[in-house]
Amino acid sequence: MKDAKTSEKVTRRRFLAGSAATIAAAAASGTAILMDAKGAWSVELKSLQPEEARTLMVFVRDLFPHDRLPDSFYATAIAPLSDEAGKGPAAKRVLLDGIARLNSLARTSTGKSYTVADEKARVAVIKQIEGEPFFTKVYSTTVTSLYNQPKLWPLFGYEGPSSAKGGYLHRGFNDLNWL
Amino acid sequence: MPAKFDLNDSSVVVIIGSGAGGGTLANELARRGIPVVVLEAGKRIEMTEFKNDEVWAFSHYTWFDSRTTSGSWSVAKTSPDLPVWTCKLVGGTTVHWGACALRFQEHEFKPRTRYGEISGASLLDWPVDLKEMEPYYDRAENRMGVTGTHGIPRLPVSNHGKVLFAGAKKLGYTQFETTNMAINPVPRDGRASCQQTGFCVQGCTFGAKWSTLYVDIPQAEATGKAEIRSESQALRIEHDASGKVTGVVYVDSTGKQQRQKARIVAVACNSIESPRLLLNSESSKFPQGLANSSGQVGKNYMRHTTGAVFAVFDKPVHMYRGTAQSGIVMDEARLDTKRGFVGGYQMELLPQGLPSFAQNIIPGGWGRDRAWVVDRYANVAGLWVIGEDMPRETNRITLHPDKKDQFGMPIPNIHVDDHPNDVAMRTHGYERGSALYDSIGAKRVVKVPPYPSTHNMGTNRMSTNPRDGVVNSYGQSHDIKNLFVSDGSQFVSSGGENPTLTIVALTLRQAEYIAAQMSKHEI
Ligand SMILES: Cc1cc2nc3c(=O)[nH]c(=O)nc-3n(C[C@H](O)[C@H](O)[C@H](O)COP(=O)(O)OP(=O)(O)OC[C@H]3O[C@@H](n4cnc5c(N)ncnc54)[C@H](O)[C@@H]3O)c2cc1C
Ligand code: SF4
Repeated sequence: MKDAKTSEKVTRRRFLAGSAATIAAAAASGTAILMDAKGAWSVELKSLQPEEARTLMVFVRDLFPHDRLPDSFYATAIAPLSDEAGKGPAAKRVLLDGIARLNSLARTSTGKSYTVADEKARVAVIKQIEGEPFFTKVYSTTVTSLYNQPKLWPLFGYEGPSSAKGGYLHRGFNDLNWL
Repeated sequence: MPAKFDLNDSSVVVIIGSGAGGGTLANELARRGIPVVVLEAGKRIEMTEFKNDEVWAFSHYTWFDSRTTSGSWSVAKTSPDLPVWTCKLVGGTTVHWGACALRFQEHEFKPRTRYGEISGASLLDWPVDLKEMEPYYDRAENRMGVTGTHGIPRLPVSNHGKVLFAGAKKLGYTQFETTNMAINPVPRDGRASCQQTGFCVQGCTFGAKWSTLYVDIPQAEATGKAEIRSESQALRIEHDASGKVTGVVYVDSTGKQQRQKARIVAVACNSIESPRLLLNSESSKFPQGLANSSGQVGKNYMRHTTGAVFAVFDKPVHMYRGTAQSGIVMDEARLDTKRGFVGGYQMELLPQGLPSFAQNIIPGGWGRDRAWVVDRYANVAGLWVIGEDMPRETNRITLHPDKKDQFGMPIPNIHVDDHPNDVAMRTHGYERGSALYDSIGAKRVVKVPPYPSTHNMGTNRMSTNPRDGVVNSYGQSHDIKNLFVSDGSQFVSSGGENPTLTIVALTLRQAEYIAAQMSKHEI
């Protein structure tokens, strides 16, 4: 247990470094691009301004904080929200109002915007908006769009589709030997 | 060759729904030379279209037409928009099902006699008993290819099963094994053997798992006596002045309303939609809905008492590898009121791929505590407590007073309040399930509230006395001789076993009865 905690702390530090390395840039007007400083990945979010996109990404990481995951997975997870916002003003309003609310609550408690506030403060902010339409919308979308990324699966030890490989019959369905 | 029948052909048996009940009935009647038209609301897909993809399969197979829910059951909070999980496809929910195929126990056919009067429950004995059902169970197991019966070997134990059995042994349990599954361990009946892919619920790409989609439906069509009309939702069943049913009004795949005449109508839409259809077929002669002189249509809805227990271990389990239902512990399925409840429950494996697991492990949960569990996904094992729940008249399906579906048919509301017996059983199950995993060194155990109901039973129950129920022991309406109910809604009680084998066995018995009654011109 102790070991797990120490290593969690280490990776948490690494995450903060990683997250800071994610750049939020503006492409065409009203379009944000989240990308890796080294150019390893980029995700275009057509309905958000750069800072809004970053706030949303950090919020989703706070909901599902897996230190082993680089930002690319969270940026990909929020893309369906941005797409939906592009289709109708009502969806866009829920999203933008929610992001604004995250920032205003963070400012009230810490004097800083959401992404700059520390994790404890951000968690306290989320507790205040739990159950609101913005929270519910983001949660119910990203709990699928985050974990349903095949590239993410190996990081959790999930091997995904198996039929094409002949199933697990000869690939370890009964290889457990620690009991 | 599939048959083609005229809309005005009144010699046909119209079966509504093509799942466990409807698909089996179509096959059994067609084999006997009886002409059959199956109306199925869902699409027809082929086995080759199945994907090992949890999210895709769920979004393509599920019955998403809106339903509302009320009552104090936890599902009304955790999943108000989707209180029930069934399929809308040719093959019905047998496309998704995990293939755990268990018989009811002797006492479970006699709950009123064996449990006595339970306040707040509408217990009734079945008009059939185990002895009467045994030959039909036997035939059902043979045709579905159930492991551990008819000389069919059991499937091998998976990692997930090993963990379950180790814990069961530690607790002193003795009745555990790889489950009786309607899955081929070796090629049989023209179907391949199981490759342990672990995607039983997403549709078996090898056809090793029994499903009416690729077993009974094609067999029925091959007789030349059956026509399957997919994307055809029944809206109402019609009758003549004498009260006999005459046909079914439905919306066809082009969106047009049609009227198929019928000699007999069999309703097999699963336990939410079957009573919905009967209630929606009200007329001046039957103002409470068809087959409802008892007022029992829609009442006594049961969905099993369930709850899940997941455990995080130090070392890998990879629960997603292999058949879904590969292990079962049956020691708690006995009747033993010393535990503080009547009826019993099974403990069955409940593997989930990462996408489903992440979504379900702590409904609505977020933050580091939840993430800690998901981070250890590869080391997780999980079991499902599934036990007998109490029928209650107030747990029922009703037509929504004003909300309608895309065809103007009132949507159903599902009302459930847990009976104190359900709560006591669930608490006991959580405690024993946790103890099982703790006994072999679980780091942490997570108790998950009930999911949307996958087992749905009881809303058109059988009864000896027409006052107490909707149909007789053959699923024939007490009120209308040529109207049958052919799915789990006939159940009088839920038992502590997954329902499908019993649905199929009842259907085999019903088919025999229908054929005999037809040849005697009784119907
Ligand atoms: C994930 C999952 C796992 C399961 N695992 C098991 C298991 O291991 N063991 C077990 O015993 N059971 C299991 N079940 C339950 C099992 O699938 C059902 O008990 C069984 O399929 C019910 O059979 P049925 O004929 O009553 O209904 P279904 O199989 O649901 O078929 C009903 C059909 O009727 C159609 N229909 C509904 N209304 C209309 C209408 N108005 N007009 C035309 N068509 C209509 C539907 O589209 C559907 O195709 C599982 C269920 C799920 C969801
Ligand atoms: S595990 Fe076996 S039964 Fe299940 S889907 Fe795979 S091959 Fe089919």
